[in-house]
Amino acid sequence: MKYSTPQFAGLYDWIDERTGVKAILHELLEEPIRGGARWAYVFGSILLFLFTIQVVTGIVLSLYYVPSADHAHASVAYIQKAVPGGALLRGLHHYSASGMVIFAIIHLAQTFIYGAYKKKRELVWIAGGVMLLIIFGFAFTGYLLPWDQAAYFGTKVGASIAGEIPVVGAIQQKIMLGGNDLTTATLSRFFTAHVFLLPLALGAFVALHLLLFRRAKPAGPFHSNDDHRTEHFYPKQIFKDTMAILAVFVVMVWIVQMNPAELGPPADPTSDYLARPPWYFLPLFQLLKYFPGKFTVIPTVILPGIVFTLLFLLPFFDRSEKRHPRQRPIAMAVLSLLLIGSIGLMLLSKYEDRKNPDFKAKLTEQEEDAREFLKAPFEPQVVGGAATIASTPAVVVANAEPPAIYVESCAECHGNHAEGGTDDEPSLLGIIEKKNRTKEDLLKIINNSRSYGLKKPMPRSFPDLSNEDKVAIVEWIDGLKTK
Amino acid sequence: MKDQPIKKSDKFERRSFLGAIIGLTSTAIAAFLGITMARFSILPAFSKSKEAGWIDLGKLTDLPENKLIKKSITVAQEAGWGEFKASRLLWVMRKGEAVSIFSAVCPHLGCTVNAKEEHFLCACHGSEWNHAGQKLAGPAPRNLDQLEHRIENNLLQVRYQDFKQGISIQESI
Repeated sequence: MKYSTPQFAGLYDWIDERTGVKAILHELLEEPIRGGARWAYVFGSILLFLFTIQVVTGIVLSLYYVPSADHAHASVAYIQKAVPGGALLRGLHHYSASGMVIFAIIHLAQTFIYGAYKKKRELVWIAGGVMLLIIFGFAFTGYLLPWDQAAYFGTKVGASIAGEIPVVGAIQQKIMLGGNDLTTATLSRFFTAHVFLLPLALGAFVALHLLLFRRAKPAGPFHSNDDHRTEHFYPKQIFKDTMAILAVFVVMVWIVQMNPAELGPPADPTSDYLARPPWYFLPLFQLLKYFPGKFTVIPTVILPGIVFTLLFLLPFFDRSEKRHPRQRPIAMAVLSLLLIGSIGLMLLSKYEDRKNPDFKAKLTEQEEDAREFLKAPFEPQVVGGAATIASTPAVVVANAEPPAIYVESCAECHGNHAEGGTDDEPSLLGIIEKKNRTKEDLLKIINNSRSYGLKKPMPRSFPDLSNEDKVAIVEWIDGLKTK
Repeated sequence: MKDQPIKKSDKFERRSFLGAIIGLTSTAIAAFLGITMARFSILPAFSKSKEAGWIDLGKLTDLPENKLIKKSITVAQEAGWGEFKASRLLWVMRKGEAVSIFSAVCPHLGCTVNAKEEHFLCACHGSEWNHAGQKLAGPAPRNLDQLEHRIENNLLQVRYQDFKQGISIQESI
């Protein structure tokens, strides 16, 4: 098959001889899909696209972002309000993160419904489960980075939850926060995880997932295990994937234009901010309300733990070869329960916030604050106090020639023009201006700096100099004023 | 039974038509993102900074005559999300009512120019100027840069600027 036009065929062959690119393209594009191309298979490609978006937008955002509690918010506000295209790129990063959670769940649910996790594809499924956890890790660490009110208090609650895990909780919380409290050290840790560790981990698992998937081959439709007709990945499936990706991309750009990524006022730990997690953590947040005190661990650790353990073990205890959902009523019931339960809890938490007049008023006020902050023009952060314009005292350094006796006795340490040397060899400029320092004092210091009471006496004194010489030195030093 | 292709052979026209759409769509998304990211990355480097203000250097009559004075000033620097304070060095020489203020930034490659007894020296590459700022030796392409200043009611003020390096005339950036 040809992927090149004749005039480039020579070049293509030349490159192929040295790289094996033809075989690679063949492997990538001519994967046979049992049952043919379908719109149902686009979700994995969408996820790969969204991950790519996160990587490229993340890289450019890091051009301006500063992972320090003092400056993070100012740098994000700068990106959002001042840099050309900043609102769009940050918005894409923000919504694409949500998109990854949504499409990962769809992809997972679909694989489950299609029974595509079964024999031969167990490891593909497990790698996918690990990737879902990594995506949640991205979401949790990324949420803190803007250091606004929502980020600070949301993460504070998240960290407290992590601290309540039995046995390891306290230690794990300390390691996560980089100390006892949510500080700039925490921000550095989250940043490192978010931009170095997690992307490497996800990248590795994407590669593994695809490799295993290619090896196991696509499962094909669940209703026609006997259908042995195939179609290549290129062009029809890639075409469908590309159209789906385009739709997702256009919708995301549209959402960013309609509804820019949120950025509230900077974190104020003394405020009574009402913390609410991002939408994908709302089911757990709602569950927390039903398990007070000691039982907090049930919704935060035990339930998610059970769900993910079942997810990882699923291909091993569900060993039947039946793939059609209608033949797997229990599996479908469990999935429905999980999805409906999660969505129900999410809606319930929203409903309860609207129903409670105090919460409703406070949340509305916070949303209003955030909207106003977003609308306000960008103000650069003034670093190092007000940018007052001032000058330091002037210092005479040249053209004031010292007497010969100074050069002979003092210059070795204090410099030819009294500019000083190392830390133990101080400059003499302006020393006459020190409090209660007279020419008589200078004479005493020359005679014996230790008995005069210098904090750091000179290594040697000069009592043997003639009185004339001493006065010459003192008079010259007296002229080295800074004001 | 072995897996069989759905059609024995795809029509070449259809393949290349779909291929063209795939190519166009990917290119469009990549171009849209690429242009946005290029603007995002590059344009802030060309943003105009505020005009430098006058900085007080103290009373003229407090400056000794015919002596080189080293002054450290604090200038405001705009950089992206913040406004920062930065220190800069000046050399000031007063002769009666006349004042010369030299930037301590070497016009060669930007090292700090120091004052010696008889001349200015940039230790990095050995350029030398006399105390009037005129070039004596070394690779520096011009005299020391002089800064604009004014005297109002005996108060000396300077307007700090950076100048292009490596060229023979003093041109502000």
